[in-house]
Amino acid sequence: MAVSNLDRRAHTKALFTELRATGDTAKREELAKLHLPLVEYLAKRFKDRGEPLDDLIQVGSVGLLKAIDRFDLGREVEFSTYATPTIVGELKRYFRDKGWAVRVPRRLQELSLRLNKLVAQLTQDLGRSPTVPELAKAAGVSEDEVLEALESGQAYSTTSLDAPSGEDDDAPMRMDRIGEEDMRLDNLEYFASLAPLIERLPEREQTILYLRFFKGMTQSRIAEQVGISQMHVSRLLTRILEFLREGMEGTAEY
Amino acid sequence: MAFDLVTVMVPASAGHLAVLRTAVGGFAARDSFTLDQVDDLRMAVEEAAVQLLRHTRGDRVGMEMETTEAGVEVRLRSEVAPGDSVIDESSFSWTILRALADDLRVDAGDASATIVLAKHRIDVSGPGDELWP
Repeated sequence: MAVSNLDRRAHTKALFTELRATGDTAKREELAKLHLPLVEYLAKRFKDRGEPLDDLIQVGSVGLLKAIDRFDLGREVEFSTYATPTIVGELKRYFRDKGWAVRVPRRLQELSLRLNKLVAQLTQDLGRSPTVPELAKAAGVSEDEVLEALESGQAYSTTSLDAPSGEDDDAPMRMDRIGEEDMRLDNLEYFASLAPLIERLPEREQTILYLRFFKGMTQSRIAEQVGISQMHVSRLLTRILEFLREGMEGTAEY
Repeated sequence: MAFDLVTVMVPASAGHLAVLRTAVGGFAARDSFTLDQVDDLRMAVEEAAVQLLRHTRGDRVGMEMETTEAGVEVRLRSEVAPGDSVIDESSFSWTILRALADDLRVDAGDASATIVLAKHRIDVSGPGDELWP
């Protein structure tokens, strides 16, 4: 049977009194054990960030021990109230140290992948790019979740440029389907300062840039032509524009 | 129908571009724009905001998003030198914005400039013809 809050409070106080009087480490351990549910509760708030819950509980426990060592019995505050910010602080620091403050939660990564497939499917069915409500309905999630996942898809790709951007990377460039179109980017010569930058882009990126901005093709149509997903076209375009902007200012690498 | 108007004001720093991009994406997505169009708007807002940041003399960039009969209109404004039209029509930036937006203009005021972008709604009640005409 679970310990009632009142019992826990009284027990906590007694243990702290003994711990401070004797320095008995067994009391310290007992206090930690007694407050493990608090750590578990707080750790669960971070579980969507892609780390195993067990690891988070471990990290939170470090915070709990710190709180136990620092808690002043004379304070007019419950130990759990005192310990909460210390435990949360330890968890946050853990993510910060890992450089994962901007890590995309696994749930969103998975949804993003699922949406990617649905976008292709719906584009085929509808003969046009789907709307967010249509996508949400097909995926069985809310419109907000769709938006969140799409946004995270962008964030994910811009924070990990070197990571493979997905399975469709292996898709062949269907240049033959672009056929007779003038791919020499003649129009771009007008922008003399950009020419050397554009030459540094991979051929596929040059094609996408040309089709979108000079041929006025939609992302879905480009996706169809080049043989990658619409979301991938979107990411590449964002990245290309970023590269060109940086390039005009100084050094840029693609 | 009632038209929605949403205003966002951010510090004039590159770090806040994402806020504008996300805001316009959320706004357009709620108005049955297709993903292609939502992405176009996000990219256009980013490009327009980058240009404003390069010319601004103020410390803020404001963005108004409004639904209209035809679709959505986005107005990005910041303080600039008098008469500064921010984007040269012969620039690459202008070419990009022309491709992304259905309407585009810059209103240069006495001490501020406003880049106005519009995107027209397409008929999403049935299959479209944009992909396979």
